[in-house]
Amino acid sequence: MTPGEQSATDRSSDGSPVLEAREIVKSYGSWLPFTRSNDVLDGVDIVISGGEIVGIVGANGSGKSTLMQILVGAMDADGGTVERAGRVGWCPQETLLYDRLRVDETFGLFGEGYGMSGNDITAARDRLANRLGFEAFLDERVDRLSGGNRQKLNLSVALMHDPELLLLDEPYTGFDWDTYLAFWELTAELVEAGTSIAIISHLINERDRFDHIYTLRDGRLHVEQER
Amino acid sequence: MALFADTGLRLHEFVRRPATIVLVLAVPPLAIETYGTALESFPQLPGLAEPARVGRVTGTLFAVAFLAGLVGLFQVISSRSGDERLVLCGYSRMRLLGTRLLSLFTVGAVASAVALATLGLRVDVAAPALAFGVLIIAIVLYGLLGVTVGSVLPRELEGSLVLVFAADLDNALSSDLFDTGVVGRFAPLHHPHALFESAVVSGELAGDHLLPTMAYLIGFLVVAVVAYTRAGVRAPRS
Repeated sequence: MTPGEQSATDRSSDGSPVLEAREIVKSYGSWLPFTRSNDVLDGVDIVISGGEIVGIVGANGSGKSTLMQILVGAMDADGGTVERAGRVGWCPQETLLYDRLRVDETFGLFGEGYGMSGNDITAARDRLANRLGFEAFLDERVDRLSGGNRQKLNLSVALMHDPELLLLDEPYTGFDWDTYLAFWELTAELVEAGTSIAIISHLINERDRFDHIYTLRDGRLHVEQER
Repeated sequence: MALFADTGLRLHEFVRRPATIVLVLAVPPLAIETYGTALESFPQLPGLAEPARVGRVTGTLFAVAFLAGLVGLFQVISSRSGDERLVLCGYSRMRLLGTRLLSLFTVGAVASAVALATLGLRVDVAAPALAFGVLIIAIVLYGLLGVTVGSVLPRELEGSLVLVFAADLDNALSSDLFDTGVVGRFAPLHHPHALFESAVVSGELAGDHLLPTMAYLIGFLVVAVVAYTRAGVRAPRS
Protein backbone atom coordinates (compact mmCIF):
# COMPACT_ATOMS: atom_id res chain seq x y z
CA MET A 1 0.00 0.00 0.00
CA THR A 2 1.49 3.32 -1.03
CA PRO A 3 1.43 6.43 1.20
CA GLY A 4 -1.94 8.10 1.01
CA GLU A 5 -3.51 4.84 0.02
CA GLN A 6 -5.32 3.85 3.18
CA SER A 7 -7.53 0.82 3.38
CA ALA A 8 -11.17 1.40 4.12
CA THR A 9 -10.86 -1.07 6.99
CA ASP A 10 -8.20 0.99 8.78
CA ARG A 11 -10.59 3.59 10.13
CA SER A 12 -11.89 3.17 13.64
CA SER A 13 -15.57 2.88 14.27
CA ASP A 14 -17.68 2.63 17.40
CA GLY A 15 -20.56 0.65 15.87
CA SER A 16 -20.33 -3.02 15.06
CA PRO A 17 -19.87 -3.78 11.36
CA VAL A 18 -22.93 -4.60 9.31
CA LEU A 19 -20.81 -5.21 6.24
CA GLU A 20 -17.26 -6.43 6.15
CA ALA A 21 -15.55 -7.22 2.86
CA ARG A 22 -11.93 -8.31 2.70
CA GLU A 23 -9.51 -8.70 -0.20
CA ILE A 24 -12.19 -8.71 -2.89
CA VAL A 25 -10.75 -9.68 -6.26
CA LYS A 26 -12.65 -9.82 -9.53
CA SER A 27 -11.61 -10.23 -13.15
CA TYR A 28 -13.72 -10.55 -16.27
CA GLY A 29 -12.32 -13.23 -18.49
CA SER A 30 -13.36 -14.93 -21.69
CA TRP A 31 -13.10 -18.49 -22.95
CA LEU A 32 -12.52 -17.16 -26.46
CA PRO A 33 -8.94 -17.31 -27.74
CA PHE A 34 -6.96 -14.10 -28.31
CA THR A 35 -9.02 -12.15 -25.77
CA ARG A 36 -7.54 -10.81 -22.56
CA SER A 37 -9.07 -10.74 -19.12
CA ASN A 38 -9.87 -7.45 -17.41
CA ASP A 39 -8.85 -7.16 -13.76
CA VAL A 40 -11.53 -4.95 -12.20
CA LEU A 41 -11.09 -5.35 -8.44
CA ASP A 42 -7.71 -6.08 -6.93
CA GLY A 43 -8.00 -6.53 -3.18
CA VAL A 44 -10.83 -4.24 -2.09
CA ASP A 45 -11.40 -3.95 1.68
CA ILE A 46 -14.37 -2.14 3.17
CA VAL A 47 -16.15 -2.17 6.52
CA ILE A 48 -19.42 -0.33 7.12
CA SER A 49 -20.65 0.08 10.67
CA GLY A 50 -24.13 0.71 12.01
CA GLY A 51 -25.53 4.14 11.24
CA GLU A 52 -22.78 5.10 8.81
CA ILE A 53 -23.30 6.60 5.39
CA VAL A 54 -20.52 5.85 2.96
CA GLY A 55 -19.94 7.08 -0.57
CA ILE A 56 -17.99 5.23 -3.22
CA VAL A 57 -17.02 7.16 -6.32
CA GLY A 58 -15.02 6.25 -9.36
CA ALA A 59 -14.67 6.81 -13.06
CA ASN A 60 -16.84 5.01 -15.58
CA GLY A 61 -15.70 1.40 -15.84
CA SER A 62 -13.75 1.54 -12.59
CA GLY A 63 -15.76 -1.39 -11.17
CA LYS A 64 -18.21 0.41 -8.86
CA SER A 65 -21.27 -1.62 -9.87
CA THR A 66 -19.23 -4.81 -9.88
CA LEU A 67 -18.18 -4.07 -6.31
CA MET A 68 -21.79 -3.31 -5.34
CA GLN A 69 -23.05 -6.57 -6.86
CA ILE A 70 -20.40 -8.52 -4.99
CA LEU A 71 -21.22 -6.75 -1.72
CA VAL A 72 -24.93 -7.53 -2.08
CA GLY A 73 -24.38 -11.12 -3.22
CA ALA A 74 -25.61 -10.77 -6.80
CA MET A 75 -22.19 -11.68 -8.16
CA ASP A 76 -19.46 -14.00 -6.96
CA ALA A 77 -16.00 -12.58 -6.39
CA ASP A 78 -12.95 -14.46 -7.63
CA GLY A 79 -11.40 -14.06 -4.19
CA GLY A 80 -12.00 -12.50 -0.79
CA THR A 81 -14.83 -12.62 1.71
CA VAL A 82 -18.02 -10.65 2.30
CA GLU A 83 -19.93 -10.78 5.58
CA ARG A 84 -23.28 -9.07 6.03
CA ALA A 85 -25.30 -8.71 9.22
CA GLY A 86 -29.05 -8.15 9.20
CA ARG A 87 -31.46 -7.33 6.41
CA VAL A 88 -29.97 -5.96 3.22
CA GLY A 89 -31.68 -3.63 0.77
CA TRP A 90 -30.26 -3.28 -2.73
CA CYS A 91 -31.10 -0.60 -5.25
CA PRO A 92 -29.30 -1.65 -8.46
CA GLN A 93 -28.25 0.80 -11.14
CA GLU A 94 -30.53 -0.93 -13.66
CA THR A 95 -33.97 -1.16 -12.17
CA LEU A 96 -34.37 -4.99 -12.47
CA LEU A 97 -38.16 -4.96 -12.21
CA TYR A 98 -40.92 -6.70 -14.17
CA ASP A 99 -42.07 -4.35 -16.92
CA ARG A 100 -45.62 -5.61 -17.27
CA LEU A 101 -46.49 -5.72 -13.59
CA ARG A 102 -48.16 -2.74 -12.00
CA VAL A 103 -46.46 -0.74 -9.27
CA ASP A 104 -48.70 -2.15 -6.51
CA GLU A 105 -48.14 -5.70 -7.81
CA THR A 106 -44.39 -5.08 -7.73
CA PHE A 107 -44.58 -4.11 -4.07
CA GLY A 108 -46.65 -7.25 -3.39
CA LEU A 109 -44.23 -9.57 -5.16
CA PHE A 110 -41.04 -8.24 -3.59
CA GLY A 111 -42.70 -7.78 -0.20
CA GLU A 112 -43.63 -11.45 -0.20
CA GLY A 113 -40.04 -12.26 -1.09
CA TYR A 114 -38.93 -10.33 1.99
CA GLY A 115 -41.41 -12.34 4.07
CA MET A 116 -43.63 -9.35 4.88
CA SER A 117 -47.31 -9.67 5.73
CA GLY A 118 -49.95 -8.19 3.44
CA ASN A 119 -50.62 -5.34 5.87
CA ASP A 120 -46.92 -4.53 6.18
CA ILE A 121 -46.56 -4.50 2.39
CA THR A 122 -49.49 -2.11 2.02
CA ALA A 123 -48.16 0.16 4.79
CA ALA A 124 -44.66 0.24 3.26
CA ARG A 125 -46.06 0.86 -0.22
CA ASP A 126 -48.22 3.78 0.90
CA ARG A 127 -45.48 5.27 3.09
CA LEU A 128 -42.81 5.20 0.39
CA ALA A 129 -45.11 6.26 -2.45
CA ASN A 130 -46.20 9.23 -0.41
CA ARG A 131 -42.68 10.10 0.68
CA LEU A 132 -41.16 9.89 -2.80
CA GLY A 133 -44.21 11.29 -4.57
CA PHE A 134 -45.46 8.52 -6.83
CA GLU A 135 -48.75 7.61 -5.12
CA ALA A 136 -50.62 8.58 -8.30
CA PHE A 137 -48.89 5.79 -10.20
CA LEU A 138 -49.58 2.77 -7.98
CA ASP A 139 -51.90 1.18 -10.55
CA GLU A 140 -49.62 1.98 -13.48
CA ARG A 141 -47.56 -0.63 -15.30
CA VAL A 142 -43.82 -0.39 -14.70
CA ASP A 143 -43.02 -0.08 -18.42
CA ARG A 144 -45.30 2.95 -18.63
CA LEU A 145 -43.56 4.86 -15.83
CA SER A 146 -41.16 7.70 -16.53
CA GLY A 147 -37.49 7.06 -15.84
CA GLY A 148 -37.66 9.03 -12.60
CA ASN A 149 -40.71 7.16 -11.31
CA ARG A 150 -39.14 3.82 -12.22
CA GLN A 151 -36.14 4.81 -10.15
CA LYS A 152 -38.40 5.78 -7.24
CA LEU A 153 -39.97 2.34 -7.40
CA ASN A 154 -36.53 0.75 -7.69
CA LEU A 155 -35.43 2.57 -4.54
CA SER A 156 -38.68 1.78 -2.73
CA VAL A 157 -38.27 -1.96 -3.36
CA ALA A 158 -34.87 -1.71 -1.64
CA LEU A 159 -36.35 0.22 1.30
CA MET A 160 -39.71 -1.44 1.88
CA HIS A 161 -38.53 -4.06 4.41
CA ASP A 162 -36.63 -1.56 6.61
CA PRO A 163 -33.16 -2.98 5.94
CA GLU A 164 -30.28 -2.59 8.35
CA LEU A 165 -27.86 -2.20 5.44
CA LEU A 166 -28.79 -0.28 2.31
CA LEU A 167 -26.65 -0.59 -0.81
CA LEU A 168 -27.59 2.01 -3.41
CA ASP A 169 -26.09 2.13 -6.91
CA GLU A 170 -26.62 5.55 -8.51
CA PRO A 171 -29.87 5.89 -6.54
CA TYR A 172 -30.94 9.39 -7.52
CA THR A 173 -30.52 9.09 -11.29
CA GLY A 174 -33.54 10.73 -12.94
CA PHE A 175 -34.91 12.30 -9.76
CA ASP A 176 -36.34 15.80 -9.92
CA TRP A 177 -35.11 18.34 -7.38
CA ASP A 178 -37.94 17.77 -4.88
CA THR A 179 -37.44 14.00 -4.99
CA TYR A 180 -33.70 14.48 -4.64
CA LEU A 181 -34.26 16.48 -1.47
CA ALA A 182 -36.83 13.95 -0.22
CA PHE A 183 -34.27 11.21 -0.85
CA TRP A 184 -31.67 12.93 1.33
CA GLU A 185 -34.22 13.63 4.06
CA LEU A 186 -35.14 9.96 4.04
CA THR A 187 -31.52 8.79 4.18
CA ALA A 188 -30.82 11.17 7.07
CA GLU A 189 -33.74 9.66 9.01
CA LEU A 190 -32.59 6.13 8.20
CA VAL A 191 -29.05 6.84 9.33
CA GLU A 192 -30.40 8.45 12.50
CA ALA A 193 -32.35 5.24 13.11
CA GLY A 194 -29.15 3.20 12.75
CA THR A 195 -29.37 2.07 9.14
CA SER A 196 -26.05 1.81 7.35
CA ILE A 197 -25.97 3.14 3.82
CA ALA A 198 -23.47 2.79 1.01
CA ILE A 199 -24.04 4.95 -2.05
CA ILE A 200 -22.18 4.36 -5.27
CA SER A 201 -22.10 7.19 -7.74
CA HIS A 202 -19.86 8.53 -10.46
CA LEU A 203 -20.41 11.96 -8.95
CA ILE A 204 -20.97 13.01 -5.34
CA ASN A 205 -21.71 16.68 -4.80
CA GLU A 206 -22.85 17.08 -1.23
CA ARG A 207 -19.87 15.56 0.50
CA ASP A 208 -20.78 16.76 3.99
CA ARG A 209 -23.67 14.29 4.01
CA PHE A 210 -21.21 11.34 4.10
CA ASP A 211 -19.21 9.88 6.96
CA HIS A 212 -16.65 8.47 4.54
CA ILE A 213 -16.04 8.77 0.84
CA TYR A 214 -13.84 6.32 -1.03
CA THR A 215 -12.58 6.43 -4.58
CA LEU A 216 -12.35 3.18 -6.51
CA ARG A 217 -9.25 3.44 -8.62
CA ASP A 218 -6.94 0.79 -10.09
CA GLY A 219 -9.08 -1.91 -8.52
CA ARG A 220 -8.73 -0.64 -4.95
CA LEU A 221 -10.55 1.71 -2.61
CA HIS A 222 -8.73 4.89 -1.59
CA VAL A 223 -9.91 7.10 1.26
CA GLU A 224 -10.95 10.48 -0.06
CA GLN A 225 -12.81 11.95 2.88
CA GLU A 226 -13.21 11.07 6.56
CA ARG A 227 -15.54 12.84 8.92
CA MET B 1 -51.62 -21.03 -2.43
CA ALA B 2 -48.78 -18.54 -2.77
CA LEU B 3 -47.57 -20.47 -5.80
CA PHE B 4 -50.93 -20.00 -7.51
CA ALA B 5 -51.01 -16.30 -6.57
CA ASP B 6 -47.56 -15.89 -8.13
CA THR B 7 -48.71 -17.80 -11.20
CA GLY B 8 -51.67 -15.44 -11.47
CA LEU B 9 -49.26 -12.50 -11.52
CA ARG B 10 -47.21 -14.17 -14.25
CA LEU B 11 -50.34 -14.72 -16.31
CA HIS B 12 -51.23 -11.05 -15.83
CA GLU B 13 -47.82 -10.22 -17.25
CA PHE B 14 -48.52 -12.51 -20.17
CA VAL B 15 -51.95 -11.20 -21.13
CA ARG B 16 -50.65 -7.64 -20.98
CA ARG B 17 -48.59 -8.45 -24.06
CA PRO B 18 -51.22 -8.50 -26.82
CA ALA B 19 -48.85 -9.64 -29.57
CA THR B 20 -48.15 -12.85 -27.65
CA ILE B 21 -51.86 -13.59 -27.27
CA VAL B 22 -52.31 -13.12 -31.01
CA LEU B 23 -49.46 -15.56 -31.62
CA VAL B 24 -50.97 -18.17 -29.28
CA LEU B 25 -54.29 -17.92 -31.07
CA ALA B 26 -52.98 -17.59 -34.62
CA VAL B 27 -50.00 -19.95 -34.86
CA PRO B 28 -51.88 -23.24 -34.32
CA PRO B 29 -54.46 -22.73 -37.10
CA LEU B 30 -51.76 -21.37 -39.40
CA ALA B 31 -49.37 -24.28 -38.80
CA ILE B 32 -52.09 -26.93 -39.05
CA GLU B 33 -53.45 -25.61 -42.32
CA THR B 34 -49.99 -25.00 -43.79
CA TYR B 35 -48.86 -28.55 -43.01
CA GLY B 36 -52.17 -30.00 -44.25
CA THR B 37 -52.23 -28.03 -47.47
CA ALA B 38 -48.58 -28.77 -48.20
CA LEU B 39 -49.09 -32.51 -47.89
CA GLU B 40 -52.39 -32.58 -49.78
CA SER B 41 -50.43 -32.43 -53.00
CA PHE B 42 -48.71 -35.75 -52.20
CA PRO B 43 -50.38 -38.80 -53.74
CA GLN B 44 -52.19 -41.26 -51.53
CA LEU B 45 -50.03 -44.39 -51.54
CA PRO B 46 -51.35 -47.85 -50.68
CA GLY B 47 -50.73 -48.80 -47.08
CA LEU B 48 -49.87 -45.25 -46.04
CA ALA B 49 -52.02 -42.75 -44.18
CA GLU B 50 -53.78 -39.95 -45.97
CA PRO B 51 -51.09 -37.26 -46.48
CA ALA B 52 -53.33 -34.29 -45.64
CA ARG B 53 -54.37 -35.86 -42.35
CA VAL B 54 -50.76 -36.70 -41.50
CA GLY B 55 -49.86 -33.11 -42.30
CA ARG B 56 -52.54 -31.66 -40.05
CA VAL B 57 -51.73 -34.01 -37.17
CA THR B 58 -48.03 -33.19 -37.53
CA GLY B 59 -48.80 -29.46 -37.76
CA THR B 60 -50.85 -29.63 -34.56
CA LEU B 61 -48.02 -31.13 -32.56
CA PHE B 62 -45.49 -28.75 -34.08
CA ALA B 63 -47.60 -25.68 -33.30
CA VAL B 64 -48.18 -26.45 -29.62
CA ALA B 65 -44.65 -27.72 -29.02
CA PHE B 66 -43.02 -24.74 -30.72
CA LEU B 67 -45.23 -22.23 -28.90
CA ALA B 68 -44.59 -23.87 -25.54
CA GLY B 69 -40.85 -23.84 -26.21
CA LEU B 70 -40.90 -20.15 -27.10
CA VAL B 71 -43.00 -19.22 -24.06
CA GLY B 72 -40.62 -21.17 -21.82
CA LEU B 73 -37.61 -19.52 -23.44
CA PHE B 74 -38.89 -15.96 -23.21
CA GLN B 75 -40.25 -16.42 -19.69
CA VAL B 76 -36.75 -17.28 -18.54
CA ILE B 77 -34.85 -14.71 -20.60
CA SER B 78 -37.11 -11.67 -20.24
CA SER B 79 -37.46 -12.00 -16.48
CA ARG B 80 -33.93 -13.16 -15.72
CA SER B 81 -32.68 -10.02 -14.00
CA GLY B 82 -35.92 -9.48 -12.08
CA ASP B 83 -35.87 -13.10 -10.97
CA GLU B 84 -32.32 -12.74 -9.67
CA ARG B 85 -33.35 -9.70 -7.63
CA LEU B 86 -36.32 -11.66 -6.25
CA VAL B 87 -33.98 -14.49 -5.25
CA LEU B 88 -31.80 -11.99 -3.39
CA CYS B 89 -34.97 -10.75 -1.65
CA GLY B 90 -35.65 -14.24 -0.35
CA TYR B 91 -37.59 -16.13 -3.04
CA SER B 92 -36.51 -19.70 -3.64
CA ARG B 93 -35.40 -20.44 -7.15
CA MET B 94 -37.57 -23.58 -7.21
CA ARG B 95 -40.66 -21.53 -6.38
CA LEU B 96 -39.83 -19.17 -9.20
CA LEU B 97 -39.41 -22.09 -11.59
CA GLY B 98 -42.70 -23.55 -10.37
CA THR B 99 -44.60 -20.34 -11.15
CA ARG B 100 -42.93 -20.10 -14.55
CA LEU B 101 -43.92 -23.66 -15.43
CA LEU B 102 -47.49 -23.33 -14.14
CA SER B 103 -48.12 -20.19 -16.15
CA LEU B 104 -46.47 -21.79 -19.18
CA PHE B 105 -48.74 -24.83 -18.94
CA THR B 106 -51.81 -22.61 -18.61
CA VAL B 107 -50.91 -20.68 -21.76
CA GLY B 108 -50.05 -23.95 -23.47
CA ALA B 109 -53.42 -25.45 -22.56
CA VAL B 110 -55.14 -22.52 -24.29
CA ALA B 111 -52.98 -23.03 -27.39
CA SER B 112 -53.77 -26.77 -27.30
CA ALA B 113 -57.50 -26.11 -27.15
CA VAL B 114 -57.23 -23.77 -30.14
CA ALA B 115 -55.11 -26.31 -32.02
CA LEU B 116 -57.44 -29.21 -31.30
CA ALA B 117 -60.50 -27.19 -32.30
CA THR B 118 -58.80 -26.24 -35.56
CA LEU B 119 -57.81 -29.84 -36.24
CA GLY B 120 -61.37 -30.98 -35.47
CA LEU B 121 -62.71 -28.77 -38.26
CA ARG B 122 -60.79 -30.77 -40.89
CA VAL B 123 -60.15 -34.18 -39.33
CA ASP B 124 -62.39 -36.45 -37.29
CA VAL B 125 -60.77 -36.67 -33.87
CA ALA B 126 -61.76 -40.03 -32.37
CA ALA B 127 -60.84 -39.24 -28.75
CA PRO B 128 -60.60 -35.45 -28.20
CA ALA B 129 -59.87 -35.66 -24.45
CA LEU B 130 -57.06 -38.14 -25.00
CA ALA B 131 -55.68 -36.06 -27.86
CA PHE B 132 -55.79 -32.95 -25.66
CA GLY B 133 -53.89 -34.81 -22.95
CA VAL B 134 -51.16 -35.76 -25.43
CA LEU B 135 -50.88 -32.15 -26.57
CA ILE B 136 -50.38 -31.13 -22.93
CA ILE B 137 -47.55 -33.67 -22.73
CA ALA B 138 -45.96 -32.08 -25.81
CA ILE B 139 -46.32 -28.67 -24.17
CA VAL B 140 -44.63 -29.81 -20.98
CA LEU B 141 -41.84 -31.43 -22.98
CA TYR B 142 -41.11 -28.37 -25.10
CA GLY B 143 -41.81 -25.89 -22.30
CA LEU B 144 -39.07 -27.60 -20.30
CA LEU B 145 -36.82 -27.52 -23.36
CA GLY B 146 -37.48 -23.77 -23.69
CA VAL B 147 -36.62 -23.22 -20.03
CA THR B 148 -33.40 -25.21 -20.49
CA VAL B 149 -32.34 -23.32 -23.61
CA GLY B 150 -33.21 -19.97 -21.98
CA SER B 151 -31.13 -20.87 -18.93
CA VAL B 152 -27.99 -21.98 -20.74
CA LEU B 153 -28.26 -19.61 -23.73
CA PRO B 154 -29.94 -16.48 -22.35
CA ARG B 155 -30.14 -14.56 -25.61
CA GLU B 156 -33.43 -14.15 -27.43
CA LEU B 157 -32.24 -14.46 -31.03
CA GLU B 158 -29.89 -17.40 -30.54
CA GLY B 159 -32.27 -19.18 -28.18
CA SER B 160 -35.19 -18.79 -30.60
CA LEU B 161 -33.11 -20.14 -33.47
CA VAL B 162 -32.12 -23.19 -31.45
CA LEU B 163 -35.78 -23.84 -30.63
CA VAL B 164 -36.95 -23.36 -34.23
CA PHE B 165 -34.39 -25.86 -35.49
CA ALA B 166 -35.09 -28.29 -32.67
CA ALA B 167 -38.87 -28.23 -33.11
CA ASP B 168 -38.68 -28.39 -36.90
CA LEU B 169 -36.19 -31.25 -37.01
CA ASP B 170 -37.88 -33.12 -34.20
CA ASN B 171 -41.25 -32.81 -35.88
CA ALA B 172 -39.96 -33.93 -39.27
CA LEU B 173 -38.21 -36.95 -37.74
CA SER B 174 -41.27 -37.86 -35.68
CA SER B 175 -43.89 -37.47 -38.39
CA ASP B 176 -43.42 -40.88 -40.07
CA LEU B 177 -43.33 -39.07 -43.40
CA PHE B 178 -39.81 -40.26 -43.97
CA ASP B 179 -37.96 -43.41 -43.08
CA THR B 180 -35.63 -41.97 -40.44
CA GLY B 181 -34.70 -45.31 -38.90
CA VAL B 182 -33.32 -45.41 -35.40
CA VAL B 183 -32.64 -41.65 -35.33
CA GLY B 184 -36.33 -40.86 -35.64
CA ARG B 185 -37.20 -43.13 -32.73
CA PHE B 186 -35.02 -41.05 -30.44
CA ALA B 187 -36.63 -37.74 -31.43
CA PRO B 188 -38.41 -36.29 -28.35
CA LEU B 189 -41.72 -35.95 -30.19
CA HIS B 190 -41.62 -39.46 -31.69
CA HIS B 191 -43.63 -41.10 -28.93
CA PRO B 192 -46.04 -38.17 -28.33
CA HIS B 193 -46.65 -38.18 -32.10
CA ALA B 194 -47.57 -41.86 -32.02
CA LEU B 195 -49.83 -41.26 -29.00
CA PHE B 196 -51.50 -38.30 -30.71
CA GLU B 197 -51.97 -40.11 -34.02
CA SER B 198 -53.55 -43.04 -32.21
CA ALA B 199 -55.87 -40.75 -30.19
CA VAL B 200 -56.97 -38.95 -33.36
CA VAL B 201 -57.36 -41.96 -35.68
CA SER B 202 -58.48 -44.85 -33.51
CA GLY B 203 -59.27 -43.16 -30.21
CA GLU B 204 -57.06 -45.62 -28.37
CA LEU B 205 -54.16 -45.07 -26.02
CA ALA B 206 -50.98 -46.34 -27.67
CA GLY B 207 -49.74 -47.87 -24.43
CA ASP B 208 -46.30 -48.93 -25.68
CA HIS B 209 -45.43 -45.27 -26.30
CA LEU B 210 -46.53 -44.04 -22.87
CA LEU B 211 -43.54 -45.21 -20.85
CA PRO B 212 -40.91 -43.77 -23.22
CA THR B 213 -42.85 -40.48 -23.25
CA MET B 214 -42.80 -40.34 -19.44
CA ALA B 215 -39.09 -41.14 -19.46
CA TYR B 216 -38.46 -38.17 -21.77
CA LEU B 217 -40.61 -35.96 -19.53
CA ILE B 218 -38.67 -36.88 -16.41
CA GLY B 219 -35.35 -36.46 -18.22
CA PHE B 220 -36.31 -33.04 -19.57
CA LEU B 221 -37.62 -31.98 -16.15
CA VAL B 222 -34.36 -32.91 -14.42
CA VAL B 223 -32.28 -31.10 -17.04
CA ALA B 224 -34.50 -27.98 -16.89
CA VAL B 225 -34.37 -27.83 -13.07
CA VAL B 226 -30.59 -28.20 -13.03
CA ALA B 227 -30.12 -25.62 -15.80
CA TYR B 228 -32.49 -23.08 -14.23
CA THR B 229 -31.24 -23.38 -10.68
CA ARG B 230 -27.59 -23.21 -11.71
CA ALA B 231 -28.01 -20.25 -14.03
CA GLY B 232 -27.51 -17.20 -11.84
CA VAL B 233 -27.49 -13.82 -13.47
CA ARG B 234 -24.19 -12.10 -13.84
CA ALA B 235 -25.44 -8.58 -14.23
CA PRO B 236 -23.57 -6.20 -16.51
CA ARG B 237 -20.56 -4.55 -14.99
CA SER B 238 -20.08 -0.83 -14.58
